[in-house]
Amino acid sequence: MGRFAQRYDLIRHLVRRDFTLRYHASALGVLWSVLLPLTQLLILVFLFRRVLPLGIEAYPAFLFSALLPWAWLSTCLSSAGSLFLGNRDLVRRPGFAPPVLIVVNTLSNLLTYLVSLPILLGVLVFYDRPLTLALLAFPIVIAIQGVLTVGLGLMVATLNVFYRDVQHIVSVGLTLLFYLTPVFYDAKSVGGAYALVFRLNPIAVLIEQYRAIFFYGAAPAWSSLLASALAGIVVCGIGYGVYTRQRHDMIDVM
Amino acid sequence: MVAAVTVEALSKCFRVYRDRSVTLRESLIRRFTGRHERARELWALRDVGFTLEHGRLLGVIGHNGAGKSTLLRLLCGLGRPTSGRIRCDGHVSGLLELGGGFHIELSGRENILTAGLLNGLTERQVKQQQDEIIAFAELEDFIDQPVRTYSSGMYLRLAFAVAMHFDPMILVLDEVLAVGDARFQKKCLARFARFRETGKTLILSSHSSEQIKGLCDEVLVLEEGRVVMQGDPATALRCYDDLMRQRTERRAAQLHGKAPAPAPVASGGSRQGTHEAIIEAVRIYDASHSAPDHVRSGDGVTIELDYRLVRPMPDLALSLGIYSETQVKCFEANIHSVSGVLGALALAGTIRCHLPALPLLPERYYVDVGVYPPDYDYVYDYHWHMHPLDIVDGGHAEHQASGVVSLSPAWSIAARE
Repeated sequence: MGRFAQRYDLIRHLVRRDFTLRYHASALGVLWSVLLPLTQLLILVFLFRRVLPLGIEAYPAFLFSALLPWAWLSTCLSSAGSLFLGNRDLVRRPGFAPPVLIVVNTLSNLLTYLVSLPILLGVLVFYDRPLTLALLAFPIVIAIQGVLTVGLGLMVATLNVFYRDVQHIVSVGLTLLFYLTPVFYDAKSVGGAYALVFRLNPIAVLIEQYRAIFFYGAAPAWSSLLASALAGIVVCGIGYGVYTRQRHDMIDVM
Repeated sequence: MVAAVTVEALSKCFRVYRDRSVTLRESLIRRFTGRHERARELWALRDVGFTLEHGRLLGVIGHNGAGKSTLLRLLCGLGRPTSGRIRCDGHVSGLLELGGGFHIELSGRENILTAGLLNGLTERQVKQQQDEIIAFAELEDFIDQPVRTYSSGMYLRLAFAVAMHFDPMILVLDEVLAVGDARFQKKCLARFARFRETGKTLILSSHSSEQIKGLCDEVLVLEEGRVVMQGDPATALRCYDDLMRQRTERRAAQLHGKAPAPAPVASGGSRQGTHEAIIEAVRIYDASHSAPDHVRSGDGVTIELDYRLVRPMPDLALSLGIYSETQVKCFEANIHSVSGVLGALALAGTIRCHLPALPLLPERYYVDVGVYPPDYDYVYDYHWHMHPLDIVDGGHAEHQASGVVSLSPAWSIAARE
């Protein structure tokens, strides 16, 4: 029990450290973490309301409720590759468990997400979207995405130690995934075979749940949530397995 | 009773790829075209075995590349042995690099918290020990400033103070004792002593023979990844010196014919080295810039060294010492990096050393000089007892004094009744 408390202290401290250091020397500080998703929002709204209208009502609210969790995933995975390589002194420190770095990174980016929440709620209210009790499911969806992200992050960080282009492959993969996930469009407007892709993509499933609770004010689809939770646990297990197998060789290579 | 550390037939092989495929793309291409990366096997450790009882302090010495760091890392559980096994009775903690986990933008206090948490303490425990650590590191005035503003000495003191205060059963230190000034080092040694009194075990590697002699109960000598001996410090240090000499001779034999025969410098004494860098001449001058037969006790001397490099090399280490006939080391100065301290090295040059005063008792002394590669792996050229320095009475009426240093005592007597 004591070890648990100690691990908790360590992670909490490292997350706080990571978060404050992130914008430490910049002029705008924490505002940056809000500014970036807002900028993305404005650009995409401009694109799909003016240039190529998708005809979705309350588009900014529709988009923003999915954009924030996507940004969380995307930032975590793009930064995952350098987590082991860039913290060589910690990884090679006796008694330190490197997966802690992945967890810290995920939680720190989650804080960034949470900081933007008030703005999301503001946008939702502005467009008269229903804010219901469905919002209470938010922590559950976050937890599932968190587990999935940590699993993927572990895989990326470990593999990147051996093959330096894994990081680039992940970037390309994320770009592709952005288009294959209904973040800026509605899944229902794409028919046929693509619907299968969306059902098999656990991230697409999660995004849909975020949109359900924030934009539609409806309860999430529990069966889909359960499926994505299982997927998340499996991915996390695989990620941890990859890390454990390569752990010793990793230290030799670094 | 179970030994603290038992190592049996430990070997570690690193596979060194000549042109390692660092990207996935290259690795896949190689796999498909059947071209495999040619790997060279580098055995860092071969068949290492030793036992260490609880409460003992073991020193590990060996030349650079002998496998010390690899051994210590494996003892800490970092990396996996290629064969053999390690058994430790108790929790092992290691300090292999100082300042791991420190972030330079944060204050010293914040970094103490980070280091404490990394060492397995809770936040409350760290807060309790914080003041003690700050006092040990003597950084009370600077503790809230970012570490970025610290001098390297301050940084090291902080890192070391932090490491010493979170105590495990078995502590492994890799060459981290060369930290701080003499006073700080004494504090560290006192802390070590207390550490051992509570039955904890310590394994450290060091390049300083003084530390080894003064601290260790037993010493392990490694050479080329193998254990040469395990025993008391004095014997081990002699063994280490022998190994260095053997390496020098081996290398000299390899280079035989490639280096020109060095010019003989003086009669008497002896000379050893591979002669990749040679000391061509040593001159001793007194204050009037003449080379006298003898120097008066208390006067200053200037020693000039003409050196020549057989082939261009970026750096040298230099030692200059004054020894008495009876092998007493009166003084020795070491420059670990000549180009760092004195400036870039030309192929041939003269190094001058000025000693403002030599308060030595009248006797014959020798000026022993040596040049080495910067890691002191072997010897380029060492002149032993080749350059005599005769000190004569400085006219200070020495009344039957013996020893080495001339202290000019002033005596007087007064009646008490």
